[in-house]
Amino acid sequence: MLDENIKNQLLTIINPERYLDQPEALACYAYDAFVEESLPDAVIFPKTTNEVSGILKIASQFKVPVTARGAGTSVCGAPIPVKHGIIVCFSKMDTILDVNTRDRYIIVQPGVVNADIQKALAPFGFFYPPDPGSMNTATIGGNIAQNAGGPRCLKYGVTVDYVLGLEVVLASGKIIRFGSKNVKDVTGYKLTSLFCGSEGTLGIVTEAILKVRPLPETTKTLMVMFDDLDNTARAVTDIIGSGILPAAMELMDQMTLTAIEDAANLGLDKTAQGSLLIELDGVEEACEKEMKQIIEKVKENGATHIQEANSESQRQNIWTARRAAYGIFAKLAPDIMSEDVTVPVSKVPAMIRKIVAIAHKYRLKVGVLAHAGDGNMHPMIPTNKADRDEWHRVKKAFDEIFEAAAQLDGTLSGEHGIGLAKSKYLPLVMNQDTIDFMKIIKKAVDPDNILNPGKFA
Amino acid sequence: MTPKVPPNCGKCGLCLNVCPVYKQMKEEQASPRARMQLIRAHKNQTIASSPYLKEIMSKCLMCGSCTANCPSGIDHYSAFMKMREQMAEDHGEPAAVKSLIYLLARDYRTRWGSTLARTGQKLLPKKIAESYKLGNIALKNMPRLNAVPFRNTCEEIILPDTQKPDRQKPDTPKTDTKWQNIQRQGSDKETGTVAYFTGCATNYIYDDVGLATVGILKRMGYKIIIPKNQTCCSIPLLFHGAKKQAQKNIETNIEALKGLKVDAILVDCSTCGEALKHIYPSFFNKNDPASHHAIAIAQKIGDVLSFIDDHFDRLTFNASPKEKPVVTYHAPCHSKNSFQSHTTIENLIKKLPFVIYKKTCDTEECCGGGGTFFYEFPKVSKEMTDKKINNAKAIHATQWLTDCPVCRMNLSGNLKKEDNLIIKHPLSLIYSALKPL
Ligand SMILES: Cc1cc2nc3c(=O)[nH]c(=O)nc-3n(C[C@H](O)[C@H](O)[C@H](O)COP(=O)(O)OP(=O)(O)OC[C@H]3O[C@@H](n4cnc5c(N)ncnc54)[C@H](O)[C@@H]3O)c2cc1C
Ligand code: SF4
Ligand code: SF4
Repeated sequence: MLDENIKNQLLTIINPERYLDQPEALACYAYDAFVEESLPDAVIFPKTTNEVSGILKIASQFKVPVTARGAGTSVCGAPIPVKHGIIVCFSKMDTILDVNTRDRYIIVQPGVVNADIQKALAPFGFFYPPDPGSMNTATIGGNIAQNAGGPRCLKYGVTVDYVLGLEVVLASGKIIRFGSKNVKDVTGYKLTSLFCGSEGTLGIVTEAILKVRPLPETTKTLMVMFDDLDNTARAVTDIIGSGILPAAMELMDQMTLTAIEDAANLGLDKTAQGSLLIELDGVEEACEKEMKQIIEKVKENGATHIQEANSESQRQNIWTARRAAYGIFAKLAPDIMSEDVTVPVSKVPAMIRKIVAIAHKYRLKVGVLAHAGDGNMHPMIPTNKADRDEWHRVKKAFDEIFEAAAQLDGTLSGEHGIGLAKSKYLPLVMNQDTIDFMKIIKKAVDPDNILNPGKFA
Repeated sequence: MTPKVPPNCGKCGLCLNVCPVYKQMKEEQASPRARMQLIRAHKNQTIASSPYLKEIMSKCLMCGSCTANCPSGIDHYSAFMKMREQMAEDHGEPAAVKSLIYLLARDYRTRWGSTLARTGQKLLPKKIAESYKLGNIALKNMPRLNAVPFRNTCEEIILPDTQKPDRQKPDTPKTDTKWQNIQRQGSDKETGTVAYFTGCATNYIYDDVGLATVGILKRMGYKIIIPKNQTCCSIPLLFHGAKKQAQKNIETNIEALKGLKVDAILVDCSTCGEALKHIYPSFFNKNDPASHHAIAIAQKIGDVLSFIDDHFDRLTFNASPKEKPVVTYHAPCHSKNSFQSHTTIENLIKKLPFVIYKKTCDTEECCGGGGTFFYEFPKVSKEMTDKKINNAKAIHATQWLTDCPVCRMNLSGNLKKEDNLIIKHPLSLIYSALKPL
């Protein structure tokens, strides 16, 4: 619990109904979807930028750590308050402030859930492209802080490509605004990029201007099966290499397919060794043409079965099952370890072979699921932390998976972020001077290290 | 691959935005994920039992949305019930909830209680009745209790309608025209036999639903068995941690329903349905004979509305009025999550030739009633209910159909006269439009 004096000061600016510090409540803010936990001392639900600013002024005066939280769906421990202190939870600061499809932007508070943005835009025939699997729960604040991506980001780009402007409260409590309602804007440093993916370590986002796009005229969805995983991966490389740009291209291996089929009964062929879920969108004629090209390419790579979703509900079912894959995997064992190493798309087949070989070496099961079109892999290893020996092998396997990705010009994370999970691997992909440069930035904006301390090493 | 251990909550958070309480409160501790984590922490003794922990566990509608949407296959229901039992043991229940359990525990007590309550409703000075509230619901807006419990008004076996009035006398006063009307309807052929589990709500509060059910089924040519010894399905008891009392009721009901030679055992309330179909079969040890009976019974359980939908062509309706009323539907959580009958019911309503069906933007959202939730947590409940009411008003519906007695009580209790909306069970609407033979 916080010092009585600090608590009293906070309560002068925050309605006590929005301040929690009972042990039962604190226990509910100690986790996200990652395996570790750490308790905060207090949880506050701000509703305005001024309240956030007030909280940070008090926190910086007393040097109390402050960790922002959206919906707690991070899978890398980003919102876990490892150094305790205050959780500033944005779930109640969730108003959509402006929908302007003429100028193609939407202005939202950080607690707005991604799916609610889609709902607000749909009647106007618009959408917000980043679509993380957690979109029905995760907040925009969390999406920005993790620079979230999703299946259709292959074609459309990730969160950073859609943030036009931000209002941010700094550690000192000062409120800054940068960017604008304009797609083109070169006034100073591109600070929106700096804040995307900063995991709440540089400042707290209190408002965002996001770019939106008109909904495509048509969408076509294909499920393709292969009897060989390597062929599946090569088909991906071939399609992307030939210049076609599907909206999404998801790869699933046999273990993933089986798990999804068992849970959702979609009629997927469980004997297939690999499969691709491909989605095209845009103008009808263009989709038709690309569809033909894709079918050619997958056939060249030995596709055994090709099926087009014949209704919107069938398409929705496939995607719902795909989004639930992580949870479905969680059924298989007490703990599930999932990573998101990413490699250039031409290296996808090599990376998948590596993952399979490493899991085999350490006698582990592995499911390979990937946003394959952009080289973003999600190897998932079901395990049991209580089994000391196995847990040790899992850790070893992930060490090697990260090394392999780095050797293939890849990177540690395509979308999940670093958080607690991956900070020790940073040296694999950046030199010490680069890491130091990030530290200089952090020190400059948050000299007392009160914003989400303990992340990024 | 089969899991070697009971599934673990992976903390993915996918259940947050399907939980009506989380959506309203927007606080993690109000979410299914948090409840699962707290149960684990309590088991590991990192969180002690406390009245606040009990409050967190009770601030849940037991609506089943989390279970229906959890990709990891977590059985929240069983976990919550066990924890509620523990919490009730540690900290007791509020007096009002306690007396509810006491009443529902044995049917004769319910009978006795409802007589008392009815007298209370009558005797209470008007002024007090107007200002006294149960949760958000003013006492004057609470439903009146049935003059005589529904099951006392009918024979245990009711023959299908024939052209001539039959002899099943109800032991109700001669003046009860409702029954005389039912007796007069007829259908030529006997189509089959069904059993009817009436539930407490129909028996003590909403006999219009019972009358409609019997009236429609008779018309469809079914012989109806209403086993006399049935009692409360025991869901309210289980939700409040009164497992021992619940077991007695479950045994009584199994005894009353086992071995019946019927095509189906029908319920008019999906919560009773959930109990009979999903909870009874796993309540007893596998080797217990009660378990076998429960499984056999569960296979026959269905809801009346889906049953009617299956045999819709057996019904003929009065000529439609010139100006058809606009009706809408509220899908009760249990119809949606455990009984999955809500789409069938909605489609059935759409098929009715004498109304115009309009959907609200939140047909599937919870109304905030949830057993005793509206009573225990009036503030959150009220916010949820008001949202629903405003959305139903927005489409200018005049009749609001719902197939759960608690939703009905909660919604109608919160409606104001000027809202110009009446709440009905879909069965009553269908029954009122049947063409006399
Ligand atoms: C089943 C599942 C599927 C997923 N699929 C994807 C996917 O496809 N793509 C993807 O990219 N991610 C995915 N994720 C990861 C996660 O959902 C995203 O990282 C998401 O953006 C987190 O949002 P949140 O609101 O839950 O944030 P939280 O988890 O609460 O917080 C994440 C980080 O954001 C910071 N933060 C939150 N709000 C603010 C704010 N207002 N200002 C500053 N910092 C803030 C926190 O401090 C923390 O560091 C998935 C997770 C799950 C469980
Ligand atoms: S209960 Fe299920 S849906 Fe909810 S967080 Fe746990 S695993 Fe996810
Ligand atoms: S049963 Fe309903 S109210 Fe309770 S936790 Fe699950 S979704 Fe929420």
